Amino acid sequence: MSTMNLEPVPGRTDEMIVNMGPQHPATHGVLRVVLGLEGERITRAVPHIGYLHRNHEKIEEARTYPMVIAYTDRMDYVSGTQNELPFVLAVEDMLGVEVPDRAKKIRTIFFELYRLASHLVWMGTAMLDLGAISPFLYTFWDREIILGIVEKTAGARMLPNYYTFGGVRRDVHPDFFKDVADFLDHMERRMVDYEHLVLESPVVHARTKGVGVLDQERAVARGVSGPVLRASGVAYDVRKAFPYDAYPDVEFEIPTSPDGDTYARFWVRFQEMYQSIRILRQLLELTPKTGPYKGRAPARLKPPAGERYRAVENSRGELGVLVVSDGSDKPYRVKHRGAAFSNLQIIPDLFVGAKFSDAIAILSSLDPVFGEIDR
Amino acid sequence: MSLLQEVWQAVKAIGTGMATVHKRVYEEAPTEFYPYVKPELPPVSVQSLALVENEDGSERCIVCLQCERACPAQVITIERHRNPEGKGFLIDRFDIDLVNCMYCAACVEACPVSSIVTIQDFEMSTYDLQTLKADIDFLHEQARRARQWYSPKFGVELRTDDGRIEKAPPEMQPGGLAEILKPAEEVDS
Repeated sequence: MSTMNLEPVPGRTDEMIVNMGPQHPATHGVLRVVLGLEGERITRAVPHIGYLHRNHEKIEEARTYPMVIAYTDRMDYVSGTQNELPFVLAVEDMLGVEVPDRAKKIRTIFFELYRLASHLVWMGTAMLDLGAISPFLYTFWDREIILGIVEKTAGARMLPNYYTFGGVRRDVHPDFFKDVADFLDHMERRMVDYEHLVLESPVVHARTKGVGVLDQERAVARGVSGPVLRASGVAYDVRKAFPYDAYPDVEFEIPTSPDGDTYARFWVRFQEMYQSIRILRQLLELTPKTGPYKGRAPARLKPPAGERYRAVENSRGELGVLVVSDGSDKPYRVKHRGAAFSNLQIIPDLFVGAKFSDAIAILSSLDPVFGEIDR
Repeated sequence: MSLLQEVWQAVKAIGTGMATVHKRVYEEAPTEFYPYVKPELPPVSVQSLALVENEDGSERCIVCLQCERACPAQVITIERHRNPEGKGFLIDRFDIDLVNCMYCAACVEACPVSSIVTIQDFEMSTYDLQTLKADIDFLHEQARRARQWYSPKFGVELRTDDGRIEKAPPEMQPGGLAEILKPAEEVDS
């Protein structure tokens, strides 16, 4: 067997080696963690990834620039257009394409809608892992409305392939702004329910408070980002640090929590949803109803030789892409910096010393999506 | 925390949970009972691909190979030969591997004459994957069955009951209607 498997330590007969996954329903896909268990306590943990590896980065080297956008969608399949944006921004920078102001705002509306959709999926599945089934049904109900709005404009629900160099592929549906405003009213009512069901539930408190504490130094050293990093008290958000698209025009806060435990990560995601609603409300006011939705991009896309790194703050953290161009119509190299992939690296730190049932709660608070981790 | 407080907390949590369940029972769900009620999809929804013929049965496709070049999954295979009488090309073979197709609609974006279009027929389940290796007859049949289809150049088009093809009214069109109508007029003239 491979060297990454745990070998029993001679003389330690009380340690049991257990395989969690890859078909475990609480691992959010195909994560396999080999655990050394001493009773209920985890003594060692080795995560194994790669069961969903589809060779994205190599395939993208053999495709022209517009084709790659369709492939980036397939990484983090829960958060749709958010994956397209770093690649689109990087290539726009290299080409020097001007993006109309309205196109930037439409892009940001979709970006935040998908953040809400992704956090709703997280909330449902996290509560499912903790043993509550109803929140899962409710959050998917609300997510269905978001996906319906997206489908009306972009033509697909989860993998829309909607952004393009210089803007978006087609103008929004005439009902789009009304639909989003209606959904935000609906969502604000629902957030009250979710707060009662999730954040104020004594069961959630008992299962998550003080569990899986990630201190600030270790969070920074391990390179985690997104809500996991902000729950450890570091106020780093790509939207504020390196603003892109319409984020300089809107006001929002970065919620942080000093605790660093699983409950803090739940709490930060909740506050992010409130901030998303706030951003969307402002953007609905700011976006003109008609106008250009696409700038002038050259028909033959051949960026000059060079490289460019652009990052966005997606639902899981800093999603970056490094595009290296050799002057031809195909990228020489596309390297994705996955947020969920980087956040998964703290599993051995957080699992060791925790109880087995806490491991499930910790994993759900990291919100991994294996399409992006294994790529 | 005293025992009494803990009991009160538990009762309150169960109470809120049951109240939420009760509230949601009477709300109308955004989903349909699919096999019995067919969902009404927006006309831009990408569910399958079709190759539209003109009203007189002639080929709309000009075999320019743009869709073949634009396809990210590289599932379109086209062979052509030069038209012996007149100009242009004739199709020898037009295959789309709908098994490996990822329905990104890049081919529809690329088509200059709106020949290849997206349709809303999503019921493509089959026991035999070979039936989804679509050839030109399959794609024509998909278009003949479809009542409406979408392409970025022409917008939404409808097939009337007597087999004619006409442009959908503006309220059925998706966003960017002005941009959609402009190239259509150029083609008509």
